[in-house]
Amino acid sequence: MAKTILVIDDSASLRQVVKMALTGAGYDVLEAGDGKAALALLDGRQVNMAVCDINMPVMNGIEFVKAAKQLPAYKFMPILMLTTESQDSKKEEGKAAGAKAWMVKPFSPTQLVSAVGKLCP
Amino acid sequence: MSTSRVQSERAVTEMLQAFADIGPHINMAERQSQQINDALAQPIGGVVGLVGACEQVLQPVLQDAALTATNRAAVQQVLDLVRNAVGALEQISKPFQHETQMVAQQVDRMYMGFQYQDRISQMLALIEGDMARLQATFSGPGADIPDLAGWLLRLQSQYAMTEQHNDHQVTPPDDTANGGSNETTFF
Repeated sequence: MAKTILVIDDSASLRQVVKMALTGAGYDVLEAGDGKAALALLDGRQVNMAVCDINMPVMNGIEFVKAAKQLPAYKFMPILMLTTESQDSKKEEGKAAGAKAWMVKPFSPTQLVSAVGKLCP
Repeated sequence: MSTSRVQSERAVTEMLQAFADIGPHINMAERQSQQINDALAQPIGGVVGLVGACEQVLQPVLQDAALTATNRAAVQQVLDLVRNAVGALEQISKPFQHETQMVAQQVDRMYMGFQYQDRISQMLALIEGDMARLQATFSGPGADIPDLAGWLLRLQSQYAMTEQHNDHQVTPPDDTANGGSNETTFF
């Protein structure tokens, strides 16, 4: 059975780019436009991993990671931060929140699929 | 400004739509190319292995003193046919593999292009919003000059990219940040 990845980004175009890369590698993809909408999808359904932007309206990526880690069913779900932010201080913030990896946009599909494969074997 | 933003967003949408249609076909071609090359390269059970397996089976037969010259020639001919067929398959598959690798590389570049175009759309949307705010500020009755530092701080708080922060602070462009680090940091 294909693994399900939740993709969270306020840019619909970017979500589509990520979705194409992941579905091409055999993953199922769920989409959300911000952290709050993503949390609403974590309702008990099987989600193996999340790929999350940082700067989003309503609820940003760091807030989402912290909130997701409070949900018992998703506490151990690996989260990859996919963002234009590359400062070390931001990475530390993501790590402290509970993210498992950090990738800077623009990404190549090979790079993304490889990272997802490592975090969600 | 509004037209530019709409056109930029439309460019991304149109390109993505086209790519969504051809993407699965490209992926399939890439996978099939890899399967063909894997099948050819397998030393055991694969096409390349077929030559070795045939030689292993037929060499003892060729060394049989009782074998007639006609039969020996026939066995040798079979071996040559197998070698030639495998060689031909390899010759066909190599350019095919090269072509699909080239396509895969170009696909990667297209993905990068979509993301840069998306960045442009986001930047245009931000500028459009800021200009609209500026216009609204000055168009009201008894409009006052806004606090410049506060205005810029608010604008800066909406930046999503390192380049925008650098531009704002008039910092020389950072090539690494512009193109992404191309690395993944695992925690």
